[in-house]
Amino acid sequence: MLASALTPPMAIDMIARRAFLAGLAAVSLPRMGWADIGSPAFLAAGKTASGFVLHGLTGDGESLFSVPLPARGHAAAGHPHQAIAVAFARRPGTYGLVIDCASGAILHQLEPPQGRQFNGHGVFSADGALLMTSEVVSEGSAGRIGLWETDTYRRVAEWDSGGIGPHDIKRLPGGRIVVANGGIQTDPADRTKLNLATMRPNLTLLSSKGEVLDRAELPTELRQNSIRHLALLPGKIAFAMQWEGDAAQPVPLLGLWAPGKGAVLCPPDDAFAFAMKGYAGSIAATQDGKRIALTSAPGGVVMLFDEMGHQTACHTRADLSGVAAIGGSFVVTDGSGTTWQVQEEGLALLSRHTLAWDNHLVGLGPA
Amino acid sequence: MIRSLARSFAVTLCFATPAWADFPQAVSGHILPGYANLAEATGTLADTATQTCDMAALRPAYHAAFDAWMGVQHLRFGPSEVEGRGLSIAFWPDPKGSGARAQMALLTGDQAALEPDMFAQQSIAARGLFALERLLYPSADLPADPCPLIRATATDLARTAQAINADWQNTYAQTVLTAGEAGNTTYLTRPEVRQALFTQLVTALEFTDDNRLGRPLASFTQPRPERAEAVASGRSLRNITLSLQAQRALVLALTPDAPLTIAGFDHALALAGALDDPTLAGVATPEGRLKIEILQQTIEALRDTVLAELGPELDVGIGFNAADGD
Repeated sequence: MLASALTPPMAIDMIARRAFLAGLAAVSLPRMGWADIGSPAFLAAGKTASGFVLHGLTGDGESLFSVPLPARGHAAAGHPHQAIAVAFARRPGTYGLVIDCASGAILHQLEPPQGRQFNGHGVFSADGALLMTSEVVSEGSAGRIGLWETDTYRRVAEWDSGGIGPHDIKRLPGGRIVVANGGIQTDPADRTKLNLATMRPNLTLLSSKGEVLDRAELPTELRQNSIRHLALLPGKIAFAMQWEGDAAQPVPLLGLWAPGKGAVLCPPDDAFAFAMKGYAGSIAATQDGKRIALTSAPGGVVMLFDEMGHQTACHTRADLSGVAAIGGSFVVTDGSGTTWQVQEEGLALLSRHTLAWDNHLVGLGPA
Repeated sequence: MIRSLARSFAVTLCFATPAWADFPQAVSGHILPGYANLAEATGTLADTATQTCDMAALRPAYHAAFDAWMGVQHLRFGPSEVEGRGLSIAFWPDPKGSGARAQMALLTGDQAALEPDMFAQQSIAARGLFALERLLYPSADLPADPCPLIRATATDLARTAQAINADWQNTYAQTVLTAGEAGNTTYLTRPEVRQALFTQLVTALEFTDDNRLGRPLASFTQPRPERAEAVASGRSLRNITLSLQAQRALVLALTPDAPLTIAGFDHALALAGALDDPTLAGVATPEGRLKIEILQQTIEALRDTVLAELGPELDVGIGFNAADGD
């Protein structure tokens, strides 16, 4: 099931190119870089009629490669230099696959240590020497950050994530990392939520050695707003939330946090107070930090915000979920296999594929 | 998939064949007449409010407008979602009472805010049918003459309904009917329209389950009859009945081949019809509560039937990400 295989490429020249690349990868070291395989802009997991896959996409939404996955994927992490992606199972996860994106070969299969589960996200250190994974202790969902060296992808250490049920993690300049501790304790065997009445999500900033540097929490009345996904702005962290409280209550689903200060919550205009149905699934920010995009599959919308957190646009499309920045704008993916460029005035069609894009679109650009 | 393709061809090639039901029939027979009806009924309400502040004249016009809204309130896509129009027509539930609060400021504040263009900028929670209900069926004496605000609210409601109707008539119906054709980037395929309508049906049933029934039912030890929808105007049960009737009509417009779904609607409508409890006050009594719980369970079962029968029949489902995110 884990055997390496490339799905049939779309163009003849790509077949030749891939065969060449695959052969090369098998015999040669050091590994290829992203530029060697066409400089994909994004990684995206998907579901086809026959199974699950991970694609590398150009900025125009064209597929450069696709690799089969053994089960539904969630997010992926791209190595900063080598053409290597780590695909994570959705939580509670039992696999992380280190994939050679040039050949499609599975180089390593990461398994969480006994009593730990992957929680869907991970990130490489800036030099690529370390992989950090968001994890929970199976019983109780206490958060951990797993550390793996990336020569042989061996587990080397773990840190406390600073909260319950961590989900997304991002690397900041200077080697610090920020963790979205979603606050939700889940049943180790399934995804049943066990502590909605008492949950307390937080954002935790860790040093490059795993020490807690700072933490942000939500006001008491919003403690059922699970902080789940992150995007980086210069000097600030944007975070996306999923509301577990009364659905009739409009709550902000975007927040901005400059460590050292309190988090600022950013509700949309009244007219769109319920457009996301209390659920922001993915978040991205442009590199200059001037624009933020938030998606909601249940609401079928992507909302744009400016750097101060003021909403500037809301576009509808069924089952939108993945979003990533490219240059000054965004690309979003949906459950019908379509990729779109997001503009202030609307969505522009980029490409269509015969699969369903899964929750996240992961940018491979400079972090 | 094969069935869906077959249907697409059939509809394209034999468009005039009356036996076919599909989304074009839903547009022409359900959606467009529904919004035209809403525009007309809210227009009549606004005209009435302009002429008189006599409650005996306003209340019937209000009920007619609300009835018309129930014919389309399940269609939360396209023109009704532009600038939060649907929400500005019916802002409910409102557990924190933000509508009443904003409305009180309008009632006692600068009358310039009641000019149509200014009023359209007011909080969505302070506009629409539920705002009117608080003025036409006040629970306590109002601190100022409500007539100017009634007129402004009714006029704004009619403007919003007319804007939705005009958008459907002038552009959006065409957008839907040309699904899958070159240049249509709203609906890339015809199944996308079926999926959109299917999603409306499922969401509307969930809304009735969670809100119209779930909020007053609350818990056995602490029922909350005051949380029912439109209690003051006595429409709680009527809204459930009208919404079920409208959704049943949408199903029939989409396909003749969903017998279990139609039977499920009929069963729920029969239960609602037998429930002699217009404001669902019975949630607070053991025997009344039981009947309302049975209606709720029937609607939950109906939702499951819609997913199990109508979804495959239309060859669509709940979106991959919408159904299960993280």
